[in-house]
Amino acid sequence: MIREPRPLKLALRWLVIGYLILLVLWPVSLVVTNTFADGLTNLKTAFTSPAVLSALRLTAKVTIWAVVLNLVFGVGVSLLLVRYDFWGKRVLSTLVDLPLSVSPVVVGLALMLVYRRDSAIGGALYDLGYQIIFATPGIIAATVFVALPLVIREVVPVLIEVGDDQEQAARSLGGSGWQVFWRVTLPSIRWAVVYGVVLALARSLGEFGAVKVVSGNISLRTQTATLAVEETYANFQQGTAYAVAFLLTVAAVACITAVSLLRPREDAS
Amino acid sequence: MSIEIAGVGKHFGDFVALDDINLTIPSGQLTALLGPSGGGKSTLLRIIAGLESADSGTVTIEGVDATGLPPQRRNVGFVFQHYAVFKHMTVAKNVAFGLEIRKRPKQEVRRRVDELLDLVHLRQFADRLPSQLSGGQRQRMALARALAVEPKVLLLDEPFGALDAKVRKELREWLRRLHDEVHVTTVFVTHDQEEALEVADTIVVLNEGRIEQIGSPDELYDAPANHFVMSFLGEVSTLDGRLIRPHDIAIHTVPGPGTIPGVLVRSQRVGFEVRLTVRPVTPGPDVTVPLTKTFADTLGVREGSQVWLEPSAAGAPLVAS
Repeated sequence: MIREPRPLKLALRWLVIGYLILLVLWPVSLVVTNTFADGLTNLKTAFTSPAVLSALRLTAKVTIWAVVLNLVFGVGVSLLLVRYDFWGKRVLSTLVDLPLSVSPVVVGLALMLVYRRDSAIGGALYDLGYQIIFATPGIIAATVFVALPLVIREVVPVLIEVGDDQEQAARSLGGSGWQVFWRVTLPSIRWAVVYGVVLALARSLGEFGAVKVVSGNISLRTQTATLAVEETYANFQQGTAYAVAFLLTVAAVACITAVSLLRPREDAS
Repeated sequence: MSIEIAGVGKHFGDFVALDDINLTIPSGQLTALLGPSGGGKSTLLRIIAGLESADSGTVTIEGVDATGLPPQRRNVGFVFQHYAVFKHMTVAKNVAFGLEIRKRPKQEVRRRVDELLDLVHLRQFADRLPSQLSGGQRQRMALARALAVEPKVLLLDEPFGALDAKVRKELREWLRRLHDEVHVTTVFVTHDQEEALEVADTIVVLNEGRIEQIGSPDELYDAPANHFVMSFLGEVSTLDGRLIRPHDIAIHTVPGPGTIPGVLVRSQRVGFEVRLTVRPVTPGPDVTVPLTKTFADTLGVREGSQVWLEPSAAGAPLVAS
């Protein structure tokens, strides 16, 4: 630890605390206080509105799908990137990061171009009975896209650090590919997978821009919780907007808390 | 029988790791693959295990052509330099791994794990995690884990390389005793000639992807096939145009038949021995002769003294190339 002069240390500490209060704590606490300004009225109003309930259900559904898809795909791609050498590996590695840098609105527009009804793929799928754009599959696709790198970026460094010694040992002891994966690889990366999943979960719950473009934002059908917050707020139903925002915040805080509660046990072992 | 390696070659890009290796490793013995790093010995071991594939040639284990078999079907036990323990499993679970993979009955697994933990003296650590063990204990656990599946062949890749000198010495004596009990065909890779000479029944010297010599420790030490083997197996001096082991040189204060005169240029005490550096009158480099402290004292020479060197007949010195 670097020993700073005492006044400087204090100044730095208050600067950080002030920064966090102004940008995070105060705004978020205002959401909470506004939600409960009239006691439980806002929450009651929100939870009796069919539109809000439908939006929450859709968000839950989309989040579960997006997290499961990103979990399977993320772990698979991480293994591919770390354990195998192939042509185009660097390109793939860069592509995986793309969703972090591209604006979600652009993602939404891009998906729209590929899967809308008058495009080749979108049209073909529609003829088979699958509507993508302005429907749940499109919302899931957009959410999967924006949350794609989160599992991979957590798992890849851990896979590199763990090395393949244990996997080779397991192979020499008679383990097949699947057995080695389930008994050795997955247990040794499990915390990275958990963090990745939690991050993907939080990101999926909160996705707004890409979903807004592809969903069409149709109340009761394709409106997710974040879209409902925006719409109710714009329609002077601030109470409902605060209530839904509060729920989204609680979910995010629960994710972070769960991880920080789980982690010390791992460190202690 | 046992392990037959025929015409095995392996390249990494331009680097020739192994060049047409032909080798038979006899059953039930402890064989050392000895050589400098980059000599190809680890690559050969990994090819036997199936962890690496050969570019050419075949590997036959106990009469079965294993060339195309994946590691899990070769029935070999492999012990890694850095232990490769399963960090998230207890010691007992580590040892049980191979048996559980083979879906053996629970009772049998428990009995066998207990047996093996007794064998490697880790019974009391059965429920610990590997992170709570020392390096030597981890490697013994890895050995028990490899032995659990009753492999036809046990392969050890620099098994004691990551351990400190004292533990290394203990473990290799222990490995020798263990092998005398278990009798599984064992091949271990080492770059430490002392380790190979002390532990192995047969030593295979590998250098630059080729076999330099195969033989018992005595054969290799007493009758090295070439300069490389001789110098790799121990210290070498050049005296009178011939390579000779320093302790095969006798030192006298009076001339005798076949002696070479020289001047003592340096006397260095290292613990129990004294190393005398002598500059012979014949052209060539200085020669270092190790003596016991007691003998050096009775000799009564000091730096600048005239001495006579006598190559002993016991060694079979090679002509220096």
